[in-house]
Amino acid sequence: MKLYEFQGKELFREAGIPVPRGRLVTREEELGLVEFPAVLKAQVLVGGRGKAGGIKVCKTPEEGKKAFESLLGASIKGEKICALLAEETADIKREFYLSITIPSGSKSFLLMGSATGGVEIEQVAQSAPEALFSLLIDPIVGVMDYQVRYVAKRFACEVEEARKVLTGLYRALRENDATLVEINPLAETPRGLLALDAKVVLDDKARWRRSELFERLAEQQAAIGGQAVSVSTDTITYVPLDGTVGLISDGAGTGMLTLDLISDAGARAACFCEMGGLTSPEVMYSALEKTLNNKNVKAIIVVLIGGFNRMDEMAEGIVRYQKEKGLPVPIVVRMCGTMEEEGKRIMREANLKTYDDLYEAVHEVVALAGRNS
Amino acid sequence: MAVLVNRDTNVLVLGITGRSGRLQTKVMLDYGTKVVAGVTPGKGGQMAEGVPVYDFVSEVLKEHRIDAAISFVPARSAKDSSFEAIDNGIKFLVLTMEEIPDHDVLEILSYAKAKGTTVLGPGAAGIISPGKCKLGAHPPRMFTEGNVGVVSKSGALSYEVGKTLTEAGIGQSTVIALGGGPLWGLTQRDAVRLFQEDPETEVILLLGEIGGTTEEEAAEFIAQNVTKPVVALIVGRAAPEGKSLGHAGAIIQGNRGTAQSKITALSRAGAKIATTPKEAAQIIKEIRGE
Repeated sequence: MKLYEFQGKELFREAGIPVPRGRLVTREEELGLVEFPAVLKAQVLVGGRGKAGGIKVCKTPEEGKKAFESLLGASIKGEKICALLAEETADIKREFYLSITIPSGSKSFLLMGSATGGVEIEQVAQSAPEALFSLLIDPIVGVMDYQVRYVAKRFACEVEEARKVLTGLYRALRENDATLVEINPLAETPRGLLALDAKVVLDDKARWRRSELFERLAEQQAAIGGQAVSVSTDTITYVPLDGTVGLISDGAGTGMLTLDLISDAGARAACFCEMGGLTSPEVMYSALEKTLNNKNVKAIIVVLIGGFNRMDEMAEGIVRYQKEKGLPVPIVVRMCGTMEEEGKRIMREANLKTYDDLYEAVHEVVALAGRNS
Repeated sequence: MAVLVNRDTNVLVLGITGRSGRLQTKVMLDYGTKVVAGVTPGKGGQMAEGVPVYDFVSEVLKEHRIDAAISFVPARSAKDSSFEAIDNGIKFLVLTMEEIPDHDVLEILSYAKAKGTTVLGPGAAGIISPGKCKLGAHPPRMFTEGNVGVVSKSGALSYEVGKTLTEAGIGQSTVIALGGGPLWGLTQRDAVRLFQEDPETEVILLLGEIGGTTEEEAAEFIAQNVTKPVVALIVGRAAPEGKSLGHAGAIIQGNRGTAQSKITALSRAGAKIATTPKEAAQIIKEIRGE
């Protein structure tokens, strides 16, 4: 779950990271409560907001009103602005970058910092790689004192200042099951370090143990009319493509392989639908529904090579769909793996053929899709 | 010889009384895997598929020698259950479940590393050493004894390729499915290293997919350390950019993580590249002079 800046800052504040005073503004009358000078910032989930004109410094209430009118309801990279964050201005001496993430393939959290903040970190990596530094934080150990001192040295700031921000950032990460916490820029001001922006992404897989937090944040997002947060237990990945062969698989790897084989056979897939490794007849049923809703589909291939998945259950899902809704296009089912004898029996009794060889199945479905289009 | 498991591996099943745990225990037993005990808190004293169930791993260890554990415990209890196994000195742990919160996964992997436990997974289909031991979901009929070591992120792809090899008369020493990521214990690089060290493995078959950089890391290791022939098959050649295809990591972003970048890296490292499982089987036959 991606958070708006104002939500991220709320979590930062709770974790002890200093943030500017501010209030959310969604209606013009709320501007009266804002002290000027102030910074008005569009609350959107897409990046590059500053460059796109989504941040305006306003010296007077009149400037504030003008900025409010030009920003609210406008859109940034296709995302409509439904709320603004009005914040006190800060006297910025220097700007830093600080984030903690979980990189793919890692076994620790990764802290990244840069003595140059305010710009995109990819840009820093290009133009001033020496300004960048990174530290691994072991999830069992947490932030160590030497790491705090190291960050203080790189930022040339007080150790206690660095400690407040770094331990706060780690707390915000841990206590909210975040997969990303980022401050850019982290500003050095006469009052000490101040987080001027907040980017936070929470782990949807941890929703069950943070249900109150997730609900609160989802309500806030709904209240400002932002993007609806979908709560989904659906394991299906459905990616529409531009061909004619509907592809359903019970494994991502075989799904991608089949996509390649379809392409090698001179056809194109109309979609990529992967059901996940352990699934039920209901998921098979809804995968068929999703695929058949795609009107470009001229024939379907279902690639099943069950390990955790049970072929009897997959067959049950297909047969139930055939009985209840009918199959408007030809279907080619490759079925092997766990409980396959039972699965094939169920298919046979419903007069549905199964294949054992993937290549044969792919050639058959490509031929059928060609004939049907 | 085989890597990580062998004929004498005594297996503990965590979460043995659940639906998946029970079914897979039966399939493993039918295959000849020595499943000697199971753990489900609160179900101690029962039997599951003829296997005694205990409340705690420590209770199991009073009665049995355990070499490896496979877990079917739901994501919410995965951390607790894994820590219990690690605390009790279990040296090889297969985590089959997906959807474990990232923080829990990191803690499990870090703790395991500190205590010397090898973790396969999470989200792993597991490992099979044909004819010897099956610790996971690999459908038995698709595998046969032999000398090709296979490593894959995807379980299904490892079954598919196992089936193709078996039908072509090519047996496997061990087949490992690591999980769809993006966080893993054992990686492709680790598996390649194990195969290089395994006297029974003659050819290494690396199955990769679009997204991430683990294939490139394996390629680096192959270039520097591997003397055995390596065949590589990368799936997702026809995948579109910017769409995640089922696995969390299977996404092409710009020119990063494309099939081509992986193929180039592996090819430079000396691997022979196959575009389909059948071609992989053909190349292995050529390598063996068949």
